[in-house]
Amino acid sequence: MEITMVVDGERVELTVEPRHTLADVLREQCGRTGTHVGCEHGVCGACTVLVDDEPVRSCLMFAVQADGSTVRTVEGLESDDGTLHPLQEAFVAHHGLQCGFCTPGMLMTALHLLDTHPEPDRETIRREMSGNICRCTGYMGIVDAVEEAARLR
Amino acid sequence: MNGSPLGTSVPRKEDRRLVTGRGRFVGDLQLPRMRHVAFVRSPVAHARIVSLDAGPAREAGYRVFTQADLGGIVLRAQSALPSYVETGQPALAEGKVRFAGEPVAAVVAADRYRAEDGAELVDVDYATLPPVTVAWDAGAAAVHDEAPDNVLLERTFDAGDVDGVLAGAHLTVERELVTNRHAGNPMECRAGVALFDPADRRLTFWSGTQVPHLVRNMIAELLGLSEGNVRVVAPDVGGGFGVKAVLYPEDVALCAIALQLPGTPVKWVEDRVEHLAAATHARDHRYLLTAGFAADGTLLALRADVTCNVGAYSVYPWTAGIEPLMAGGLLTGPYKLEHYRATVRGVATNTAPSGPYRGVARPASVFAMETLLDDAAARLGMTGVDIRRRNVIRPEDIPYRMPSRLVDDSGHYDECLTKALDAVGYDELRAEQQRRRGTGESPIGIGFACYNELTGLGRAASAGPRMPFRTGHDACTVRVNPDGRVTVFSGVTSQGQGLETTVAQIVADALGVRYDDVDVRIGDTDASLWGFGAFSSRQAVIGGGAAHRSALAARSKVLRLAAGLLEVDPADLQIEDGVVAVVGSPDTTIGLPEVARVAYLESNRLPDGIEPGLEATEFYDPVRGAFAAGAQVAAVEVDRTTGAVRILRYACVEDAGRAMHPQIVDGQIAGSIAQGIGGALYEHLVYDADGNLSTGTLLDYLMPTSAEIPELTIGHVARPAANPLGVRGVGEGGTLGPNAVLAGAVSDALGVRIDELPLSPSVVWTAARRAAEDAGKTPVEPGGRHSD
Repeated sequence: MEITMVVDGERVELTVEPRHTLADVLREQCGRTGTHVGCEHGVCGACTVLVDDEPVRSCLMFAVQADGSTVRTVEGLESDDGTLHPLQEAFVAHHGLQCGFCTPGMLMTALHLLDTHPEPDRETIRREMSGNICRCTGYMGIVDAVEEAARLR
Repeated sequence: MNGSPLGTSVPRKEDRRLVTGRGRFVGDLQLPRMRHVAFVRSPVAHARIVSLDAGPAREAGYRVFTQADLGGIVLRAQSALPSYVETGQPALAEGKVRFAGEPVAAVVAADRYRAEDGAELVDVDYATLPPVTVAWDAGAAAVHDEAPDNVLLERTFDAGDVDGVLAGAHLTVERELVTNRHAGNPMECRAGVALFDPADRRLTFWSGTQVPHLVRNMIAELLGLSEGNVRVVAPDVGGGFGVKAVLYPEDVALCAIALQLPGTPVKWVEDRVEHLAAATHARDHRYLLTAGFAADGTLLALRADVTCNVGAYSVYPWTAGIEPLMAGGLLTGPYKLEHYRATVRGVATNTAPSGPYRGVARPASVFAMETLLDDAAARLGMTGVDIRRRNVIRPEDIPYRMPSRLVDDSGHYDECLTKALDAVGYDELRAEQQRRRGTGESPIGIGFACYNELTGLGRAASAGPRMPFRTGHDACTVRVNPDGRVTVFSGVTSQGQGLETTVAQIVADALGVRYDDVDVRIGDTDASLWGFGAFSSRQAVIGGGAAHRSALAARSKVLRLAAGLLEVDPADLQIEDGVVAVVGSPDTTIGLPEVARVAYLESNRLPDGIEPGLEATEFYDPVRGAFAAGAQVAAVEVDRTTGAVRILRYACVEDAGRAMHPQIVDGQIAGSIAQGIGGALYEHLVYDADGNLSTGTLLDYLMPTSAEIPELTIGHVARPAANPLGVRGVGEGGTLGPNAVLAGAVSDALGVRIDELPLSPSVVWTAARRAAEDAGKTPVEPGGRHSD
């Protein structure tokens, strides 16, 4: 099937099979390997991207469902001049990542969190980020990072 | 940067690519002509393979490989221990399957979707055999013909006069404890890409492995390739925790398939369901314990019988001995003891193989030991704190020879415990606990654990059960390039621990250059000379030691060369931030770029007796190991109605030696505690009686999230270890405490015995109900209130 999406500001026209997940199409046809696949059943959150500004599990969404949508991935966070997004800066500063595999999904979920909860307390951050699993950090650095990014906005 | 970067939390070298989506994970690799592999896996736990019909799949255009097609390759994990029964693990099952999820055939197609379509066309006929899933079930059917009783290894640790001392002890405590099977479960599952170039018979294997050199060694042997023609590359790896320190049959099959499809890269990316079913599990143990105590709480003797469920195969290279031997060697932990006898065994079952998982056996063995101490304290009318203080190894006891003959070199357990008690506000918690006892509010309890983490094992204490190699050393090459900047080729690997950063810090410090001028290449067997990889909290000590030594050797040559150019004595020179200067004469300097240029490009300026080039390669082996002391204390609140456990406070204090990067050290400790909490409260790989994994997705296998893991307080007692950098490993210690701490806290809150893990609501509720019944009181009803 033919679909059209805007991925990180770039219009892409693709031929996909109906069964192809958005995650696989982003990774394999759009070169967006920054979006990771951790469980393929919608639990771990590593594949989280924003579709029309809403966070989705791209492993549970078929690419054809995203036809006509605007998709934001981790690879669109950095500015063209190489300036990191405040969330990216904060994750680095607070050791909010170790292996970095869950990080793209964490960043996209956090981006939506900051859009919807401009001044989140730690309890809110812990609750809102609980759809994304990190196996490395114990979450302290992640909560610290999101808290600081919110403060700097 | 002025001064040494060592000991400060410099920005991690890895982070920029990882936060921008430019990480380089195996699954991200796309190569021309790449083909994808899906494995056909056994749906049953134990069966004879009556027939395997790949005809329909082949007729539909799929490449299908069976064990016969791969030439019958078998992995054999070896040990020289006399009781060890060696068994083989085929790349693909042949004749028989031994656990649900075992790979039976591999299908190759243009993409993963099609490969899975093809896998569905492979028809395998199984004749089921009686499965065994519980290691202490007597009389079970044999998993391997070589071991009719399923015991793959048994060993007895024996010191002193256990029976005599137990007979005369003031108090004996007997317990039977069972711990829950769970797994490392990194966020990136296993993955591999294999490409064979027939022109020069070279195989490249990109693999998310923790042990690339060990993988290269065995892949070359199994496939009959020259070891120098096998290149194993572990790029960014999304967590390992021991699960990826194993050479798996899927890895071998993938490489063997690549040999049969020359010039075609073959890729396998494991999905989570495969991972939970077929990657290694751990911690499925039973402890039968009898401990004798004096009236003052002194531990006098301990008799233990430990059975570890090692699953269907003895994993390469660690063998079925990895968990039982660790459990027996470190059961007594940081407690002084003379009379000790522990029989440990690894028993095969029709479940996924057990392998190394962060903390190897000790989360279970520490739970066992701490449970005995809490039990004895309660019977003797002592506090949990006092009985631990009575028995821990102290600084004046160091070096302390444990009854298993391991030598502990850190005696700061009491200091760690005291700091952890302060961190949680122990006295205040006890007062609150007392206050609540007079009310209907949910009770709170406090739990403790002291533990010793054996790290950085040199050849004398080398990890593993007398395998045909000793894992005591690593190599490192430090190269000063013609422009004066430095590239380090290190044998370490990283799955999130930040080794590129740590190695760069060590080299910058020892060589005298800026951190930003050092780049580190890791995880590529073509780039580094040798490294055993990531396990046993060894790399900061051993890989770090090798980086330190090679940087010092490179520095020595820089100074000799610079001394010749400046016509001074090398002993009068120092290097800081890449500038060589004469001590006491700061205007006489030469920059490293100029020294390096001479070394490579201007041999006409080379001083007499100095060869071109500016590089050094050194090995390091600490010979012995370094113990990292630790203590954890937590307070929990238990809902009597639901059995739910909520952590109120959690503190951990460790003697991690000298912290080279405090943020990374704390990150290791926090992450390992979180894994321990997951294992203590939630994570459980449950097999039903037929050998089906009933917690085979993340909907059933519950991993802790930011909503469950509490704020953690981490403290330090930094006592440098006796190695060149003064460091102790910190990778695993955090996982050792939570089982014991949380079980002890629940026990303290409810006045119950905890005999099994995890502390699921049903286990806690059942324990509370049993205690209430034992006390002759009305069982707790949902919505009701306990009447004490």
